[in-house]
Formats: sequence, C-alpha cells, structure tokens
Amino acid sequence: MTDIEHRVRARAATPPPRGGARAAGRGRPSRRARLGPKLGRLALFVLPGLLAYVLFVLIPIVMTAYYGFTNRNPFNPPTRWVGLRNYTELATDPEFLQSLGNTLVITVIVTLLANAGGLLIAMLLDRATALYLTLRGMFFTPVVLSSVVISVIWQAVLRDDGLLNSALRGLGVERPPGWLSDPGIALYSIAWIITWQMLGFCVVVYLAALQGVPRELQEAAAIDGCGPMARFRNVTWPMIAPALTINTVMLLITGFKAYDQIQVITNGGPGTGTTATMAFHVVQTAFNGNHVGYSSAMAMVMLLLVASVSVAVLRTLQRREVTR
Amino acid sequence: MIDARTHAWLRPLVAVFVGAVFFLPLYLVLVNVFKPGADIVPHPAALPLPPTLDNISAVLSRPDHLFTYGLINSVAVTALSITVLTVLSAMLGHYLARSRHVLAKITLVTLLCGLMIPAPVILAPITIVLKSLGLMTTLQGLVLVNVGYYVPFGVLLFMGFVRSVPLELEEAAELDGAGKMRVFWQVVFPLLRPASASVLIFLGVWIWNDFLTPLIILGPDSGTTVTVGVYRAIGQYQSDFGSVFAFMFLATLPILLFYLVLQKNFVKGLTGGAVKG
Repeated sequence: MTDIEHRVRARAATPPPRGGARAAGRGRPSRRARLGPKLGRLALFVLPGLLAYVLFVLIPIVMTAYYGFTNRNPFNPPTRWVGLRNYTELATDPEFLQSLGNTLVITVIVTLLANAGGLLIAMLLDRATALYLTLRGMFFTPVVLSSVVISVIWQAVLRDDGLLNSALRGLGVERPPGWLSDPGIALYSIAWIITWQMLGFCVVVYLAALQGVPRELQEAAAIDGCGPMARFRNVTWPMIAPALTINTVMLLITGFKAYDQIQVITNGGPGTGTTATMAFHVVQTAFNGNHVGYSSAMAMVMLLLVASVSVAVLRTLQRREVTR
Repeated sequence: MIDARTHAWLRPLVAVFVGAVFFLPLYLVLVNVFKPGADIVPHPAALPLPPTLDNISAVLSRPDHLFTYGLINSVAVTALSITVLTVLSAMLGHYLARSRHVLAKITLVTLLCGLMIPAPVILAPITIVLKSLGLMTTLQGLVLVNVGYYVPFGVLLFMGFVRSVPLELEEAAELDGAGKMRVFWQVVFPLLRPASASVLIFLGVWIWNDFLTPLIILGPDSGTTVTVGVYRAIGQYQSDFGSVFAFMFLATLPILLFYLVLQKNFVKGLTGGAVKG
C-alpha cells in the first residue's frame, strides 16, 4: 500500500505536462486547449478501473445473456442459436426447479432468522461495558471468517459421528438426527449455518441503529405512559428502519447466492440435489457438465430473480423509512 | 423487553449464555487445535492441557506444502488486489462524484448494477475472457478479476466520502496552481482515509476468504489460495480433526490479525455507510 502510494505521490508531485499547459493558458482557455487535460484526466482517473469492470463483469454478463440462447458446450462444437429452448426446458426441469425451491427456502429462513436474532441480540448487548463489548466481538467473529472455514467447523459438529451427536449419545439419545445425512433435515442445517454466519453482521448494524435512537424520545414516551413494548413499537422500531433495510437486502443477496456451504459440506446431497442451490446448480452444469449454454440460461434466471427481489424489497423498505 | 431496574441481573446472565452457545463451535476449534488428535473425539470440549503444537507443525511440514504455498498465493493476491482496488476506485469514485456529465451518470448506474451480479452467474464467461488474454490459471488473472468484480463496491464507498470533502478545498488548491492529479493525491486522497480503510478491510476479508473464484480460476494444477487449501485439506485428512482445525486456524490467523489492526476504522466505516445509505 504505502509503497505504491509513495510512488504515485512522487509522480503526482512533478507537474504533469498537460496540467502545466493548462496553468500557463490561465484566464479563458479555448475549448480545444481545455479538451487536452480533460481527456488526460479521464484516461487516468476513469479508464483503468472501468476497463477491468468492462472486461470481467460487463462483457461476461453480455456473454452469459447470449450463451443462454445457444447450445454452447466447449467440448461439443459448433455452438448454435437455439432461441428460447433453454428457457422452456428450464421451466419443466425438475432438478432446476428443486434448486430454485431450495434457494428460496434458504433465503427466507436466513432473512427472517438472522434479522430477528440479530435485533434481539443487539438489544441484549446495547450496553457499553467491557462484558458487552467482548460479546459483540464474539458475535462478529464469523463475519470475518471464510464460509469454507465455517462450513468445515459445522460439518465437524453436525456430521453423523460429529461432536453434537456424540454429545447427544452421551446424554442417552439413542438415534440422534442425521443433521447433514437426512434429506429432510440437511437443507435446514445449511440454512442454519448461513444464519449463524450472518448473525453478527446484523447485530452490528442494529447496534449502530439502536445507538442512534435519542434517549429523550424513549424518556418522553415513558413519561407519557408507554410500557417497554409500546416504546419499542412506536419509538425504537420506526427509528431503526434503515438498519432493517440494509440487513434484509444483504441477507437476501447472501441467501440467493449460497454456494460455498453446499460445495464443502453436502455437494448437493444427501440423495439427488436435496441441498443444491441455484448457484451450485449453475456451476455444476457449466464446469462439470460443460453445458455452458444451458447453465447460462439458468444463471440469467438467477440474476433476474436476485435483482428484481432485492430492488422490490429495497423500494418497499425504503418507502417505510421515508414515511415514518 | 426486559425491565432494566427489576431484572438488572438478568441481562448479563442471558447475554453470556447466548454468547456462549453462539461461540461454542469456534471454541471447539480453538481448543482442539492444541490437543493431541486421539483426545479430540472422546473429550471435544476439554481444555487442551498440556497444549501441544503437533497439529500446527504437521500442517506446516506437509510434504506437498499445501499450506505454505497457499499462504504465499493468498497474501500476494489479496495485497495486490486491495492496493489496486483502493487506488483505482478512489480515483474513479472521485471523478464520478464530481462530474455532472451525463456519461458519468450512465457509468455510475452501470457500475452499481454490477453490485448485484453474483459471481457464479459470470464465472464461465470470465474463464473464456481470461483464456483469450492468456491469463487463465495465473495469479495475475485472479487479481484482475478481483479488481473488475469489486470496483463497483469501492466506487460506491468512496463516492459517499468524496461528497463530504468540501469542493472549495480542491478549488483553492487548483487556484494555487496544482494540477488535477496533485489535487487528488495531496488534498483529496488523505481526507478519504476512513473510506480507504473500509475498502481495504472489507475487500481484504472478502478476497482472502473467497472460495469459488480462485477454485475455478487457479484450477487444480497451478496451486491454490489458502482458503481453497482448507477445502483440499478436508478431503485428505478425513476425520483427523486436529490437522483440519490447525489448517483452518493458520489460514484464518493472518486475515483476523489484519482485521483486528484496522478494526476501529472498519466499524466506523460500516456505520458511516449505514447512515449515508
């Protein structure tokens, strides 16, 4: 960091020739004379960052959109235009519909649980003594960890011979649940793991919002005869609306793109695709099946879903903030 | 809600209990890193007395150097990516915040759209672009992809802060004869320090912890990052919890320290963004 900063500063310290030309022609430079430095500045300030974005986000998204209408498979050329065939196939593809359903289940559970839990814990920890500051740090730790690390930790806890079931057997439970091996449970275990991972983020955002609620408002409401419940509903809850917006959008996006936990822990199983999410299905189809055309159509559905749901939720929640 | 006066003892009790339950999985990892492998399954929650460094030295002395090579790759990719990202997104964010040109508005909207694109959606075409540039399975390729993918986030964060820098400061420096570059690096950029800290730490943590993108881009043969190394290691160690936990502990330690050092700025940056929306 500092090294590059110094080098850039050193270069900036020697006046650039074009800037110098401009300084010389002070007063009212002609349009042509002004265009030079303007273009130079554009090239320096805008182009490098924009170029990387165009190369690795904009062009790829256009390619994904295009491939969605083709049968592209790098190991089975030639690539042909197939119109909407991929999309009509998706509408009746049981594997895809299952991954869509799994993604929605995970997203709904994570959004509701992490929001509710985050708010409750934030209210519990809304004190400034050392004990509560330490606890805040503990809740925030998973946010800094890789989801791969978190997945391995929870796998060690939840697998059939894992730490939780050993403990349960020790307590006399003869047949503890197969948290990751029972097709009816595994999806909820994954949702729980993502919730645990995101909880600290919500706690921190809610704590920041709670600290912005003026004490006088709480006291005024108390004097007017409001109990704790009424104070929360009428003072705190409307005041922390922006935090709800941030957390909900963040959790929605996290839920929709869930991938790492599935790849590391279940690989889509147990059984066929019981925990496969859309992101997992897209990557499997593209890189293991090499059906890039079909997976691109899937990816476009996923993108449109994430974008429309997050924008709709953002709009709705922000309207609530304005009219409070 | 809990009435503060009558149940003053209840809050710390509940808080500690909830915190302990929440933290239990991390506690299990921490104690078992320093415990002999044979003791882990029979006594998972016991304190490691006396502590042993066997698990850690086993990871460090792996014959395939999975950890050490991964660590070098991770440090190189993360440090390069976040340095370039901070510089480029600060300049781009400053330009876009100050320009009133319609093209700047269009550029901004295009960039913000990129914030919503999950990586799996564009990963297959990214590999095609990288192959055509001859950068597939290289660290440089991974750095460039990181820069392109995270530049919208950096721009968004910097733009919010640029608006808090008075335009008069820049005009004063320009009147004194400083060029645009000099104004930016000597006047504006130092004032953006909180934003730079937030960008460095957010992106540092995200890029260090990233799994899918390095897994695909670096491929199976040309080495991995340390995070992908954790994934590779669990396949080999099977149920040797001690080695797996030690690998994860070592893989997490650098980024955790990085985070702790910049933490004060980080939380400030987080809430700063929260208020500005």
